[in-house]
Amino acid sequence: MATPRGPRPGAFPPNHNPNALANNLQNLQINQSNRQELSSAGSDGSPWTSNTSPFGQQPPPFAAGQPLPPPPGGFQTGPTPPAAPGQSTLPPDAMPTRPAGLTPQPLPFASRPPPPGVLPMGSAPPVAPGQSTLRPDVMPARPTDATLASQHLPFASRPPPPGVFPSSVGGPAAPPYSGTAPRPGPLGLPTPPQMSSNGPAGNGPPAFAPGMMQSGSRPPPPMSNLPRPSVGQVQPPTMLSSQAPSQPLQTRPGFGGPPTFVSSSVGQPGPPFSTFPRGPMLPGSSNMPPPPGSLTFSPPVQGTVQSPGHRHGMESWPQQPPQVGLSHPTPGAMQQQHQMFGMPPGPPPFPNQSMALGQTDLSQVDINHIPPYSSSSAVILHETRMDNHANPPPPATSTYIVKDNGNCSPRYMRCTLNQVPCTVDLLSTSAMQLTLLVQPLALPHPSEEPIHVVDFGESGPVRCSRCKGYINPFMKFIDQGKRFICNLCGFTDETPHEYQCNLGPDGRRRDADERPELCQGTVEFIAPKEYMVRDPMPAVFFFLVDVSMHAIQTGATAAACSAISQVIPHLPEGPRTMVAIATFDSTVHFYKLKCAQQQPSILVVPDVQDVYTPLTSDIVVQLAECRQHLEMLLDSIPGMFQNHRTTDSAFGAAAKAAFLAIKSTGGKLLVFQSILPSIGIGSLSAREAEGRSNISTGEKEPHKLLQPVDKTLQTMATEFAEYQVCVDLFITTQTYVDVASLSVVPRTTGGQVYYYHPFSALSDLAKLSNDLRWNVTRPQGFEAVMRVRCSEGIQVQEYSGNFYKRNRADADFPAIDCDKAIMVSLKHTDKLQQESGCSFQCALLYTTIYGQRRIRVSTLYLLCTNNLTSLFVAPDLDTLFSCILKQAANEMTSAPLSRVKDKATNVCINILHSYSKFCVTKSSSALLMMPEALKFLPLYTLALLKSHGLSSDGRIDERSFWLNYVSPLPTPSVIPLIYPRMIAIHDLDEKESEDSIIPAIIPLSNMHISDEGIYLLENGIDCLVYVGASVQQNVLTQLFGISSVEEISNQFTLQQYDNLLSKKLNDILNEIRRERCSYLRLKFCKKGDSSGMMFLSNMVEDRMPSGAAYSDFVAHIHSQVQKKKA
Amino acid sequence: MAAPELAQTDPEGIEGVRMTWMNWPRSKVEASKCVIPIATSIQPIRPHVDLQILPYAPLRCKTCSVVLNPFCRVDFTALIWICPFCLQRNHFPPHYNSISQTNLPAELYPNFPSVEYSIPNYQNSQNFNQSSPIYLFILDTCMIEEELEFAKSSLKRAIGMLPENAMVGFISYGTQVQVHELGFSEMSKVYVFRGTKEISKDQVLEQLGLSVSGSRRPGPGMHKSGGGGPSPVAGAGPHTAINRFLLPASECEYTLNSLLDELSTDQWPIAPGNRALRCTGVALSVGTGLLSASTAGTGARMIALVGGPCTEGPGSIVSKDLSDPVRSHKDLDKDAAPFFKKAVHFYDEIGKQLVNQGHVLDVFASALDQVGIAEMKVAIEKTGGLVVLSESFGHSVFKDSFKRIFEVGGEQSLGLAFNGTLEINCSKDIKVQGIVGPCTSLEKKGPSVASTVIGQGNTTAWKMCGLDKSTCLTVFFDVSSSEKSDPAGPTSQLYIQYLTSYQSSDGQMRLRVTTVTRRWAAGSEDLVQGFDQEVAAVVMARLASYKMEMEEGFDATRWLDRNLIRLCSKFGEYRKDDPASFTLNSFFSLFPQFMFNLRRSQFVQVFNNSPDETAYFRILLNRETISNAVVMIQPSLISYGFDSLPGPALLDVQSIAAERILLLDSYFSVVIFHGMTIAQWRNMGYQNQPENQGFAMLLQAPQEDSQLIIRDRFPVPRLVVCDQHGSQARFLLAKLNPSATYSNAQDMMHPGSDVIFTDDVSLQVFLEHLQRLAVQAS
Repeated sequence: MATPRGPRPGAFPPNHNPNALANNLQNLQINQSNRQELSSAGSDGSPWTSNTSPFGQQPPPFAAGQPLPPPPGGFQTGPTPPAAPGQSTLPPDAMPTRPAGLTPQPLPFASRPPPPGVLPMGSAPPVAPGQSTLRPDVMPARPTDATLASQHLPFASRPPPPGVFPSSVGGPAAPPYSGTAPRPGPLGLPTPPQMSSNGPAGNGPPAFAPGMMQSGSRPPPPMSNLPRPSVGQVQPPTMLSSQAPSQPLQTRPGFGGPPTFVSSSVGQPGPPFSTFPRGPMLPGSSNMPPPPGSLTFSPPVQGTVQSPGHRHGMESWPQQPPQVGLSHPTPGAMQQQHQMFGMPPGPPPFPNQSMALGQTDLSQVDINHIPPYSSSSAVILHETRMDNHANPPPPATSTYIVKDNGNCSPRYMRCTLNQVPCTVDLLSTSAMQLTLLVQPLALPHPSEEPIHVVDFGESGPVRCSRCKGYINPFMKFIDQGKRFICNLCGFTDETPHEYQCNLGPDGRRRDADERPELCQGTVEFIAPKEYMVRDPMPAVFFFLVDVSMHAIQTGATAAACSAISQVIPHLPEGPRTMVAIATFDSTVHFYKLKCAQQQPSILVVPDVQDVYTPLTSDIVVQLAECRQHLEMLLDSIPGMFQNHRTTDSAFGAAAKAAFLAIKSTGGKLLVFQSILPSIGIGSLSAREAEGRSNISTGEKEPHKLLQPVDKTLQTMATEFAEYQVCVDLFITTQTYVDVASLSVVPRTTGGQVYYYHPFSALSDLAKLSNDLRWNVTRPQGFEAVMRVRCSEGIQVQEYSGNFYKRNRADADFPAIDCDKAIMVSLKHTDKLQQESGCSFQCALLYTTIYGQRRIRVSTLYLLCTNNLTSLFVAPDLDTLFSCILKQAANEMTSAPLSRVKDKATNVCINILHSYSKFCVTKSSSALLMMPEALKFLPLYTLALLKSHGLSSDGRIDERSFWLNYVSPLPTPSVIPLIYPRMIAIHDLDEKESEDSIIPAIIPLSNMHISDEGIYLLENGIDCLVYVGASVQQNVLTQLFGISSVEEISNQFTLQQYDNLLSKKLNDILNEIRRERCSYLRLKFCKKGDSSGMMFLSNMVEDRMPSGAAYSDFVAHIHSQVQKKKA
Repeated sequence: MAAPELAQTDPEGIEGVRMTWMNWPRSKVEASKCVIPIATSIQPIRPHVDLQILPYAPLRCKTCSVVLNPFCRVDFTALIWICPFCLQRNHFPPHYNSISQTNLPAELYPNFPSVEYSIPNYQNSQNFNQSSPIYLFILDTCMIEEELEFAKSSLKRAIGMLPENAMVGFISYGTQVQVHELGFSEMSKVYVFRGTKEISKDQVLEQLGLSVSGSRRPGPGMHKSGGGGPSPVAGAGPHTAINRFLLPASECEYTLNSLLDELSTDQWPIAPGNRALRCTGVALSVGTGLLSASTAGTGARMIALVGGPCTEGPGSIVSKDLSDPVRSHKDLDKDAAPFFKKAVHFYDEIGKQLVNQGHVLDVFASALDQVGIAEMKVAIEKTGGLVVLSESFGHSVFKDSFKRIFEVGGEQSLGLAFNGTLEINCSKDIKVQGIVGPCTSLEKKGPSVASTVIGQGNTTAWKMCGLDKSTCLTVFFDVSSSEKSDPAGPTSQLYIQYLTSYQSSDGQMRLRVTTVTRRWAAGSEDLVQGFDQEVAAVVMARLASYKMEMEEGFDATRWLDRNLIRLCSKFGEYRKDDPASFTLNSFFSLFPQFMFNLRRSQFVQVFNNSPDETAYFRILLNRETISNAVVMIQPSLISYGFDSLPGPALLDVQSIAAERILLLDSYFSVVIFHGMTIAQWRNMGYQNQPENQGFAMLLQAPQEDSQLIIRDRFPVPRLVVCDQHGSQARFLLAKLNPSATYSNAQDMMHPGSDVIFTDDVSLQVFLEHLQRLAVQAS
């Protein structure tokens, strides 16, 4: 509150809702994070220099070892200025996409303590002052493909073609690091070790990355990306160094180590790796997975295991390397060893990276020898294809920039296996699954090239006449281009006359490089008339607000209205945007917004058993025509029902009535619901209570409570979906509302559930507002239908996610947005030919928010393999685990919890069993062998078992929500949900040297939590702030403006105070919000009370009532694997 | 032939009662020989200058509950009165102690057979508002903009005229029904009901949040938050809740006016070739339901302004497809009106509901096509509602009539009253068969209830939810056949007492007691002397209409002819089989002509009219005074000429002359007919020349007279001004006796006369036939 807050008149009481939101918004100020950089950058102001400043703190190595200057110079002059125009061409319609990015509007900057010269620049990131003019354009941040009419080609404005990268990058970047690497001291000390090794190396770039995120379109010049990839490369040297053993622990296998191993010591495992020679040079190549070689952790020396040092995370971590180091020879040696024992056979000799978790005592495994969780904040440059082969994607959670050169970006489509098993037997032997996770409208990185829009005119895109597959880079043209062979079904088609083109000597069409559909994995076609059953629908937003007594009294109505009125200005402009508002209690109230009238009028539909729409016109009106009325209305709704005494809520009836009003067009229905619907169609009963009593009387099957109570809402939802109405449900409640039943509607209609429980008007308003804003402004499409086609031999078995199953082959989405992923499970129908590879094509036909009908086609071409070992090189853990999670969630409603848990555990056991049985020829029974790619599988599995959704004592509604949340969840969000990110925030100001906004991640274990510390933990939904018992008072004051823990209420909002610590915390929070595209529900946890318990329940590595400690779990897995093998 | 009703002034007198037979036939057999049934017409609340208002409660006979009246024998010393009906001796209560021969209370004055008691109204003392009348307006919005504007401006004017304490509600409807919550201050708020679904009273109440029981159960989800809080509706009785929808006129006038300003025509799309979707039926049931929430006993009018046929939901009278015409009489006859019976049943139910509540349904229909009055007739009649049929809301027939009902006090006031009940007590030989007119049987059984029923029967008490000072009921009596003893003596008088309690337009409770006595006829001469041919004609008309509606295949013309012949046979003087010898007593002299005109009238010849019009005419025939009803049967014609004073003219085509102006009053329309020459002069503007003032005055006279007629009449008649040979002249010609038709034109022709192109027989031919048949031996 003490912060000078912008131009807002301070008339409102501080806790008044609107203002509370405003406060939060200001606190949210994303761009502030840059301020720090700015100020440190000083007058120089160039991005590069700002980034170098952190480096400056380790000047000796840099200055000495490496002539850094050249790259910076290049940047300053080069890329940034051109980027500016490029950005400004961004149509304003490329609405701000990230929620956090949106919030800043209310002049955040005023609150900043002024580096005077900087102030005027406002939020302009570390970009030069002159560029501050860019900001308006910049704010829109990530250009969405859906909305981007004019393709802006960030790359186009930048000189360096991909090929250039390596030379420019590899050169400068690698050497310095190799220099730094050997110096463990400076790197390792200040921060926990796993980050520390990354730290200095990664610090430069990561710091930069956030900058990019914030400024949105500030195109990180290609060069600026380079340093980041180079980070990956930095590690090879370290790996090579004697320190190496620690590296696997600390870094994701994807980066760092492996490539060097490969290049240095190992042959390429088959075709994919044939590209390797370029690997080390190309940043992208650093992601190449296949460092053959398994890391074996031999049984630790007993005694050291539980060494007292462990109590203090800080200290214990540094000890790791030695420990590991002790138990191992250098990795290189290990690798050699494995090469000999593990995988002697031929050409693809060591595709398997494996780790072995050893244990001497089955019941006790040293936690330090188990792969602890780690992640990298480095930005990776990823090319989807390398040398004619699919390039395995970087980890889903990492920050990466994709260069689409044939295969689609992994954002759009990821496969659990990066090589497709030729036979179903091979697949079942591996115990893994072949499943695609498709996220057709995923948000691209701002630096990525937007998707090309191709217009074939009236004839529409060229398609295979048999399987209807769309033209893609893998269609093979023959016969001088007169015919082409479909890569999906193998059928040979005549090329349409106007599309013919001669073939070059390499067999490619001569125009292949000019035609996006022939050289890019993802393109968008303009759909001609025949793809429409009607004119593309307008963008209809129907807001439906609960005004029952409970909603009014808890402030939910006011919050909803406030959120809606804040989102109105962000709705797309133009005549195609239609808006409607209705409220409901025991009746449904529509509002006539006709502009001719003096004021809106209310139309009540009282028959909630059999609803109808009270008017055919004037309820859904063009936004442009009714803005004033809308504002007036939203202002008055909370007051209007202030004295209402209606406790009932007719959710079903209201939704149905609203549906009827927009039935003719379809559209989005955003429902704000506060209590259990108790009246009218689809009314529900408090079966949670019944459930409890049933349990007490011995009746079981509590999972039934996770199912919808009956078919009514399902039937309704189906009808909605048929008419392209998508329902998003914002549940702002303090009681049981039967999420399980309600969620059927959003789930079937392609919407989603937002759950605010227990709702607090004070602390949840900001989140509600941001969620709503993101909901309507994120890239999205309407009346969409999606189909995935696969090569002969593979078929789609099932789609799973939030959509409507009109028929088996397609998934129908009344609305789909960038946050929705669909799990596509595949099945073999035939044996695949190893040489022919396997294609997957996802086609999404949808209407953009501006009323254009488009088809987004993503094609992924993967190699096939007959080799189990290569399968284990290839799994994409994040995707694989996402599928395991989603399947578990799907089963939850139909099977007892214990069975679901067993099943998840067994998946883990079976995979590891398969690996250790078939891929590791010799290993000690004391060693748990696992492929490098899957090294976190046990950890994730454990975390899954302990997750809220799978906990038997959780509230039914919360679990239902969890299940729903998981259903459309894209891969990058799955991991943090299961294994939340924890950071320390009490010592932020001590880490001056850090230039990554988000500090080092702390493993989720009690042993890393100190009583003096304050920690922040986030999982994409909630953000818990945990305060230890003996935190220094001045830290509390600085962060929260309080002097003791007791002063913090449950309804707590984070404010920004005028001190470094607070600013950093806000910066961090904003950064996280940006990353997650979610404004996170802040919860305050105190040691010793229930909130503290809640926080601690996230420490998944610890032993807790819901499951074993990590080490014990690994031990369990190990013993099961051993048992199986025996 | 002079118009007799003009000569007789005030035939009803203070009693407001007229009878077909002043002296009653003594037995059933005699009665049936009389041909014309024994019937009395009564105007229950007819104003009269001599009417006494007594500010105390009436005394009632303790056995038959007859109210003390001038025909009681009073023993002033014993303070006892003897009821003339049952001969019970009743003691006067103490406060009558001071009565004596010279100090009589008003109810005992022989020249006050009617007195009115003003009964203290307990509700009034508590809360005046509760019993102030409710006006619920129901406005159809499925019309063209222009019509709606007319209707709206009429409504606004009406609201402005309402007394300040009158409670007002407003419902508009089209494809759906919109109940406007006038008490909601933030913005205009309406409850919308679907037009397709039949909705019960309880549903309406519940959905409007008016249900008494607070039946909105606390939601199952609420157990936690609710705590011990008061039930949401508890404590808020229906009286306060209803105030959301019904507000005193003074409070809601502004709201209503602005609401009407913004009200637009119904927005639901109409498919090409279809009628507008109009849910009159549901609108009326919603209105009924809403009114049911008002305090019991409060008078209420539901005033519907209807602009077309109901096509949506229950009560539909025709399909949506424009190619299906609205049912005609022919369709009804051939049972080819698929919607008719269902709709009638539906409106009947609404009528019953309204009667239970004591509320009135008024319908103002303005459309070129039919709107379904035929179907709604039951509901309107049973509740005693008003109905006005016109072509447009802009037409004076609607505008002026509508205005009339809101005029309070003064000559123009209709004296609208609410919640009337009529009870009839009569001497023991007399039985009540029933009432034809705007009322509903209360099914109050008693010894005086006849076994045969005409109209609303099986009772001695009737409900009249709405009544006004011209409301007129026809009560059909029967005499018990057994009592034939004692021709003379004390029982030579018969007594009938009408007790009408009602709530006057200013909210007072009144009881009018009218006690009449008549003689039993001593012989045929007595009967003849006591015949009232006007009443007889009206009774025959009402009875014929009633039978046409109730009896399948009823041939009204034949029935009327037969009865007329029988009557003439019985009461005419003639020699058998000698038509020329036939003469009729002057008490009967007009009757055949009445019958002749009745046969040709819209009541019998329905095929010239739509079922709606027929229903409309019949409703009015049944509720209007005798003199008005006579005009409906036989219009009056006044002739204006240079050579004579204005005077009645024969209702005959021969009355047409080129230099005459005729003024025809056929009740529903008033026609000013200019002879050919007059028209020419007028067209040439002679009346504007100072030397032709006489002509101007001649032109003016019928105009003024017509205004006199129009001013006093409700519904306001349509005024037709036409010229001879003009197209509008048909309004006159249709009513005239076709003594000159194309067949005999040659003989009858004289300059300026006219002929009627018809095959109908003329009065002369009719009478000739009558004489011939009457004298035939039966």
